[in-house]
Amino acid sequence: MTLEPPPDSRTLRDELADSTAHGLLYLGRLRQRQLTLSILALVAFGALVGVLPLAIDLLPQLRRIHLLGVPLAIWLVVVPASPIFLGLAILYTRRADTLDEDFRELVRRR
Amino acid sequence: MIAILAVAGVTLGTLGLGTLGIRLARTTSDLLVASRAVTPWWNAAAISGEYLSAASFLGIAGLEMQNGTTALWQSLGFTAGYLALLLFVAAPLRRFGSYTIPDFAEARLRSPRLRGLASAGVLLIAGFYLVPQLKGAGLTLGVVTGAPYFVGVLAVGLVVAINVALGGMRGITYVQAFQFWLKVFAIAVPACLLLIHLGGLPARAALFGDRLPSAGPHGLVVHLDARQPVTFPASTPYTITPLHGGAAHDFRARAGAHVTLPAGVLRLPAGAAVPVANGTQALRGSEWATPVGGSGQRSPVFVYSLLIATFLGTMGLPHILVRFYTNPDGPTARRTTVRVLGLLGLFYVFPGVYGALGRALTPQLYVTGSTDTVVLRLPQAAWPGTVGNVLGAVTAAGAFAAFLSTSSGLLVSISGTISHDVWPRLARGTANTSARRRRRFRTAAALGMVAPVVVAFFAQAIDISVLVGWAFALAASTFCPLFLLGIWWPGLTARGAAVGIVAGGVIASGGIVVGLALQEPSGIAGALLAQPALVSVPIAFVAMIAVSLRSKEHFVPDAEMLALHVPEGLDLPDLGVRDPFILGPRGG
Repeated sequence: MTLEPPPDSRTLRDELADSTAHGLLYLGRLRQRQLTLSILALVAFGALVGVLPLAIDLLPQLRRIHLLGVPLAIWLVVVPASPIFLGLAILYTRRADTLDEDFRELVRRR
Repeated sequence: MIAILAVAGVTLGTLGLGTLGIRLARTTSDLLVASRAVTPWWNAAAISGEYLSAASFLGIAGLEMQNGTTALWQSLGFTAGYLALLLFVAAPLRRFGSYTIPDFAEARLRSPRLRGLASAGVLLIAGFYLVPQLKGAGLTLGVVTGAPYFVGVLAVGLVVAINVALGGMRGITYVQAFQFWLKVFAIAVPACLLLIHLGGLPARAALFGDRLPSAGPHGLVVHLDARQPVTFPASTPYTITPLHGGAAHDFRARAGAHVTLPAGVLRLPAGAAVPVANGTQALRGSEWATPVGGSGQRSPVFVYSLLIATFLGTMGLPHILVRFYTNPDGPTARRTTVRVLGLLGLFYVFPGVYGALGRALTPQLYVTGSTDTVVLRLPQAAWPGTVGNVLGAVTAAGAFAAFLSTSSGLLVSISGTISHDVWPRLARGTANTSARRRRRFRTAAALGMVAPVVVAFFAQAIDISVLVGWAFALAASTFCPLFLLGIWWPGLTARGAAVGIVAGGVIASGGIVVGLALQEPSGIAGALLAQPALVSVPIAFVAMIAVSLRSKEHFVPDAEMLALHVPEGLDLPDLGVRDPFILGPRGG
């Protein structure tokens, strides 16, 4: 998509403040990027944690292998989820803050 | 005795701190959002403290003991809900400045009628969620003091209503944070000490092998206060000594026999499989230890439906959202949520321990069908003597902290909704002075507790986890699509949102009611009736999108999208969506 460069007299900040088509276009891109990031994190969550019930249902050997006297299937429900949540959350927050910062940078430059 | 003191201490502490809050609560804004000056760690502890309810403290362990390790998915789902909140809701919603769901509905979609619908949803979900808290209170006070069920329900209802009416949220932000750590201590320390004392998990054959839950090496004595219909899973000899005189009688039940035991003392010989109360299924160790598999409430369909309800339902719980408003800005809201994920992960390590130990050490709870009390009863059973009594007092205090904090948060939402949305509509024309607003909030806090208390009297037989699962299903089928589409899709219309909320809400509650009426239906249909989110959530989304695409509203939410998504620090002038602080659009 090609964009008309904003008229020199108006900054992107003004365009946003007045919600001009131009300002909204930039904002729409930011929203799109944030949403893509969130969906990526959601897909990662689904791949890492969301498949667990299916995996445990389909792989009976997970129930037969015992670790420290407790079936592996139970360990899989209890242990990995929290660290995965926390890791995903930290990665996501860092990236989302960066996207916000890039946008601020863009607004300050123009 | 120690337990009574511990419970009284927690209750008085909460009341005291709440009363302290009243001195600080000068304005209505203090009452509602603690004037937004709370740091991320305090806020995260307060959110977690408010969130960890009877379902987390008692319900997961109880359901695990009764229904097997599938219950552990609940703790996973309860945590995962905050990931969904972080990814899709936390920052934009904080920027937007709505602190209640009705505020968001009206401000985003410019529809006062949608606000009314959202208010009804808040009252329904918060009320639904209050009932299991009160039920837990009734059970706990019963275990601790032997008081009848309704005493605990009434006592907690009263304490919470007074506390909220006097202190509002300023009073309880710090109380909530304190109660989070109290709850972690109360669930973690007894669990660790009991595991060390027992040298690991006892009775492995009943936990992971092919044994049914059985009487210990010295047999089992169960005191029955009332007649108790049970099923014997195996051929078992037993002795009954009736409560009102009469000699002990020996019986022998064949496998599968349905027997109504009279009030009195039931004695089972060592190693005998215990009979289970009606509504409970006797599981062999290997079945019990299977986190997913089989049919009904252990089927993959049910597990996924539950995970969807908890993953998407958390953001729609009225008392959670209000807490995010106490963050100063969007990035802080994100950081707070990350901390919440860490704090909850810490707590949810422990409830599962009680369910497993309870299966081995307190099989009498299967006979009476009161597995929801396992966290309270386990310490004395596993470690008779002073230590067990002290640890039992600790878990009872933690449980009380759980009811008090969650109920307070829910009641703040209920009274906020009544005093801001329902009341001004009924009393149009009266001047809206701040003194009157405060008085309304306080009256609403008292009135809002009445209906949940009454329902809790009748809900004694329903498992805490089941009741809470429904609240999550309702929230996920109504407010979750409203938030996700309202924040990320400019095309959502008020009509679409309304149709989606009604469709999702009706299907979710319809499934629950039909499931109750049919009493434990089986198969995939039964699983979906017991936890309808897998069906009702997609329907709500599809309805919202389809109706929005077809409706002819010419309203482009530019200002709303700016308010939701423009990062902080750009110093833009007022983005057009007012801070609905205090009274929202109807205020002033």
